[in-house]
Amino acid sequence: MSLADAVWLLLIGAATVYLLYRSLWKKRGHCHGCGGSCDTKKHP
Amino acid sequence: MSVETLRKEGVKTLTIAVAGNPNSGKSTLINALAGTRLQVGNWPGVTVEKKEAWLSHEDWQLRLVDLPGTYSLSPYSQEELIARDFLIKERPDVVIDVVDATNLERNLYLTMQLLELGIPVVLALNIYDEAQAKGYQIDTKAMQEMLGAPVVPTVATKGQGLKELLEAALRAALKPQRPPSYGQDVEEALEGVLKKLSQERPELLAAYPSRWLALKLLEADGEVLRETGLTADFAHPAVEHLRQAHGEDIEAFMAELRYGLAAGLTREVLRKTRAAKTDLTERIDRIVLNRFLGIPIFLAAMWVVFKLTFDVSTPFVDWVDAATAGPLRRWTEAFLGLLGAPAWTVSLAVDGVIGGVGFVLVFVPVIFAMMFFITFLEGSGYMARAAFVMDRAMHSMGLHGKSFIPMLLGFGCNVPAIYATRTLESPRDKALTAVLVPLMSCGARLPVYVLFVGAFFPQSPGTVLWSLYVLGIAMAVLVGVVFKRTLFRGQAPLFIMELPPYRMPSMRSLLIHTWEKGKHFLLKAGTYILAVSVLVWFMLNMPWGVQSTKDSYLGKMGQALAPALKPLGFGTWEAASSLLTGIIAKEIVVGTMGEIYAAQAQESEEGPRPTFLEDLKELALGFAQAARDAGANVVSTVGIASLQAEEEGQEGLREAVRSTFSPLSAYAFMAFVLLYMPCVVVAIAMRHEFGTWKWFGLAFLYQTVLAWSVALIIYQGGRALGL
Repeated sequence: MSLADAVWLLLIGAATVYLLYRSLWKKRGHCHGCGGSCDTKKHP
Repeated sequence: MSVETLRKEGVKTLTIAVAGNPNSGKSTLINALAGTRLQVGNWPGVTVEKKEAWLSHEDWQLRLVDLPGTYSLSPYSQEELIARDFLIKERPDVVIDVVDATNLERNLYLTMQLLELGIPVVLALNIYDEAQAKGYQIDTKAMQEMLGAPVVPTVATKGQGLKELLEAALRAALKPQRPPSYGQDVEEALEGVLKKLSQERPELLAAYPSRWLALKLLEADGEVLRETGLTADFAHPAVEHLRQAHGEDIEAFMAELRYGLAAGLTREVLRKTRAAKTDLTERIDRIVLNRFLGIPIFLAAMWVVFKLTFDVSTPFVDWVDAATAGPLRRWTEAFLGLLGAPAWTVSLAVDGVIGGVGFVLVFVPVIFAMMFFITFLEGSGYMARAAFVMDRAMHSMGLHGKSFIPMLLGFGCNVPAIYATRTLESPRDKALTAVLVPLMSCGARLPVYVLFVGAFFPQSPGTVLWSLYVLGIAMAVLVGVVFKRTLFRGQAPLFIMELPPYRMPSMRSLLIHTWEKGKHFLLKAGTYILAVSVLVWFMLNMPWGVQSTKDSYLGKMGQALAPALKPLGFGTWEAASSLLTGIIAKEIVVGTMGEIYAAQAQESEEGPRPTFLEDLKELALGFAQAARDAGANVVSTVGIASLQAEEEGQEGLREAVRSTFSPLSAYAFMAFVLLYMPCVVVAIAMRHEFGTWKWFGLAFLYQTVLAWSVALIIYQGGRALGL
């Protein structure tokens, strides 16, 4: 494996961990029992 | 200050709170007004927190706030507190009180309490068409005069009366209305309290609606006393007089007065033009709520749901599977080849992402089909009956039938079910219901069942699936009984359950709510299932250059866990690894299996490669065939779920699981997936809802023990019986 491959792998791994943290912890799994209010139009 | 004055001053935004009894149609009304998609269900308790929608009307920006459905504004449950706090602390400009016209008297109790707040109230006399169909004539003009508030008949589901309602709300906004009068004794007592407040705590009169505050002090409302720092003695002289005249309990006395006003008003304005005849709802209820037939009918209804789910979705599952396993995989390989991407990126995209996420997406048609039928049952009013017939079973575990509603919601996804526990009054009921909710088989577990049922039980897929859901309910009752005697001692509260009339849900509403329920599975696939699939690929290929996936990090973890699963019949590292990653979300169990077995599936696929155009043609023809098969399955009286006949697509993975599982161990595995620990998202929801990890910890412990024990009994018991 070349250095470039290793760097790509590292980047993909980091992005994956961040995606996991963001979607599971920060967004609480995108499933808040919000009953669709997530779609509510925000007032400008 | 009137709206006209506000308009001159350039104020362009009004806040309209929408309040009303559960199931009076508040969310439907807001959806119709603002074009939003707040969740609607023909059962009480759908809205458990306040939600907002914005609407432009003429040159006004209207902020509509959907409050949870409540029967009163007494601080006895969380939704009552949420509604009351909003009305008192945020002081909306006007309240639309959604009143179920078919149930006038009961709904008017809340109206009386809303009128006490000093905020302008407009009554939306909703479900007016059903009231008329029942032969009810409501004199809205007289009602308006008696209440001192505008009354507008509406049919939110058909959009009738909504324009008039908005105009009435705008006209009423910020204009004072007269509060209901509770007679000389109470009025004198209120005057006394108000006088004392203005002398001793004038700041409270600015912070709260003054008449309402005085009433709450008379009633010795615990929340208000706590918030204001006053004691029950504050209203003592005024209360003393009332007590002497009307008895000890002022709160009960005030409730009687409100009920009296509501009953009197109803008698004045409501005319029933024909003698009440037995309507359809009553006729159906005589059967479905029958003491002996109720539970069998509920079980039969669930069986029909699963049968239809399979019949409708299976042809589409096969189509999506063929599309992801064939063309998508080939196109990705070709595209990456064109870019000159290194071999590992092709493997990551094809084996990791398509093998993992793609395999979960294959089951999206099943999930949407099941959500459609469950939404139909909810919208028709049957789900409220299901909670009613389960009432006795729920009482055996110290809970009320009302607790079964969050559990039924759990069939879609356990997460909103955890949040729905806030409709329950006591913290004990909430916690006990929340720890039982994960035993309800959610949609995320369906992919696992569909894979194994297709591989081992193709002759009766609906029945096997149904048996798993029933197993979940039975385990919830059993565990509930044990917890009632140990950790959650106490009696079930008494509560009247509302049985809404049966309604035929509109196709539009069914499709919207099916989409709302099902879309988070797509969101999950694009976010953390994607992330976990990539991580699983890493773990299957690390240490870098590993020859066999068995020696990879994931393989090693699976091998470490496998001995514990051996007595259950699935002690392989592949099954163990899948169960480990499935902790993030249950559908990842099949995603991981898809990745692990990807190599074998690929090998079996070797052969001449079709061209791009041939692939496109195959996809189009396959979809048409799937639609035809689904239609044929539904109209067929015997129903043919076509799982058994597929010799393509998923067959690679089915073949792989057939080589490592027997029908008995496959059933034990499905039972294990049903019962083992809640997924991470449920854990986060429990932490969020209860502010502690304690209940998740309890669910984690008992479910792991339960899953292992049940799978052991199934496998070892089955073997002992020679299965």
